[in-house]
Amino acid sequence: MFALRGIAVSLTFFVLVYCLLSAIVAVAWRSLRLLHAGEKSLAGLLFALRVLPLMASVVVTFAFVVPSFQLLEPRSIDIDEGIGAMPLVLGICALLLIAWGCFRVITAQTRTSRVVARWLDGARLLNVNVNANVNADAGAQTVMFCSRLEAPPLTLVGVRKPRVLVSSSTVSLLTHDELQIALKHELAHMRSRDNLKKLIFRFCPFPGMAQLESAWSQVAELAADDVAVSNLNDAVDLAAALVKLSRLVPFEAAPVCTVGFVTGSITARVQRLLAWDNAGKTPVMRIRPWHIIPPMLVTLLCVFGTYGPVLTLTHEMTEWLVR
Amino acid sequence: MTKAFSIFGSRSKPQLGPFEQQLLQELWSRGSATVRELLADGRIHQAYTTVMTTVDRLYKKELLDRVVEGRAFRYTPRHTAEELQRGAALDGIRQLLGSGDASSLPLSYLVEALSAHDAQLLDELQLLVERKRRELQSREHKAGGTKSREQR
Repeated sequence: MFALRGIAVSLTFFVLVYCLLSAIVAVAWRSLRLLHAGEKSLAGLLFALRVLPLMASVVVTFAFVVPSFQLLEPRSIDIDEGIGAMPLVLGICALLLIAWGCFRVITAQTRTSRVVARWLDGARLLNVNVNANVNADAGAQTVMFCSRLEAPPLTLVGVRKPRVLVSSSTVSLLTHDELQIALKHELAHMRSRDNLKKLIFRFCPFPGMAQLESAWSQVAELAADDVAVSNLNDAVDLAAALVKLSRLVPFEAAPVCTVGFVTGSITARVQRLLAWDNAGKTPVMRIRPWHIIPPMLVTLLCVFGTYGPVLTLTHEMTEWLVR
Repeated sequence: MTKAFSIFGSRSKPQLGPFEQQLLQELWSRGSATVRELLADGRIHQAYTTVMTTVDRLYKKELLDRVVEGRAFRYTPRHTAEELQRGAALDGIRQLLGSGDASSLPLSYLVEALSAHDAQLLDELQLLVERKRRELQSREHKAGGTKSREQR
């Protein structure tokens, strides 16, 4: 009974923190637009915000709820408090939420594998004279040639072994430079593991998050454009490729674990690329991974400093929940 | 905005005339106003009674709310411009889908119209790209010419 109660209380805290933070994120994420950050940083921030409820609820559960229950809950067999109605109901809700997340991930993966297998049927390695940079980025034979008619013109598929699929129409339609820059764009998505991020989104469902995910997708496209383009010639080539391939977009909806080249607002992307100006680029705030270290250190110090009282408080809350 | 209002030309939804549209725009920009306030800055060149009758008509069409303020009413738009636009668009699409006997036929018109719109948009973007490319080429050509002159 002790173990069951512990599990129920932990799951209750997990689902409460998850729902509370998700609701806050679903409302508050728009304020990120006020930040004058670069597209790559903004994409990172949007992703972090989207997964924050899941991460925070896992951390709170394992760092506070489980230890407080283990250390402060009396284990005597004479005291049988029972599980309590609220932890039981919320615990079941948490299990359903986790199961729903797993189901969404598995169906997304299965559907992607099925569709990609169909696209890859009869595909062969891309025999295009890509430059050294693209080859180095591509790694071990990631660029494929795909001849299926219903396949998208250019897309990144897969999570564990990502590959770039290029349709035969794309190869014949684009010039050498346009194809190279379009491939660079997809490889930028590969480097930032955008397919994996999409799969993680599937694992943490919550109503009202679709707009945040759509905003992330738009910003991720702009960030990949920025990575691919290094001068105005590249920008014009990428814009030309975007316009040409927009005419080839198939009607079939793309599965989750893919990032298509023709995604987001084409007009906005083309206009942004045509207005590319190296010299005139306004300086924007760039958030680097090491920027997270100082706030993390401060948080850790706070946690160590107040761990005992916080555990007591958490235990009091669990007691209140059980009764 | 005018386009959105023109879709309101059905029997089920209120139809708006140009002056009604103008008053609604004024109220959106101000948030709320009395008839006197609407006339105060001189942008509306109509008699007090005309404006009063028109806002009353908008109120009866359920597009405005009003509260008593002294001896007059203060009018507030019931919907935002976006809400009204969305409603008008949805109404138009519903009308289109419900207009034919074969349910797939109006939908095919819609798809056709969207495809034509998309194609036109892409043509415009293509033109922009080509213009930019020509501009770049001429810039490079000029830069090349200057460099060769300097070398000579």
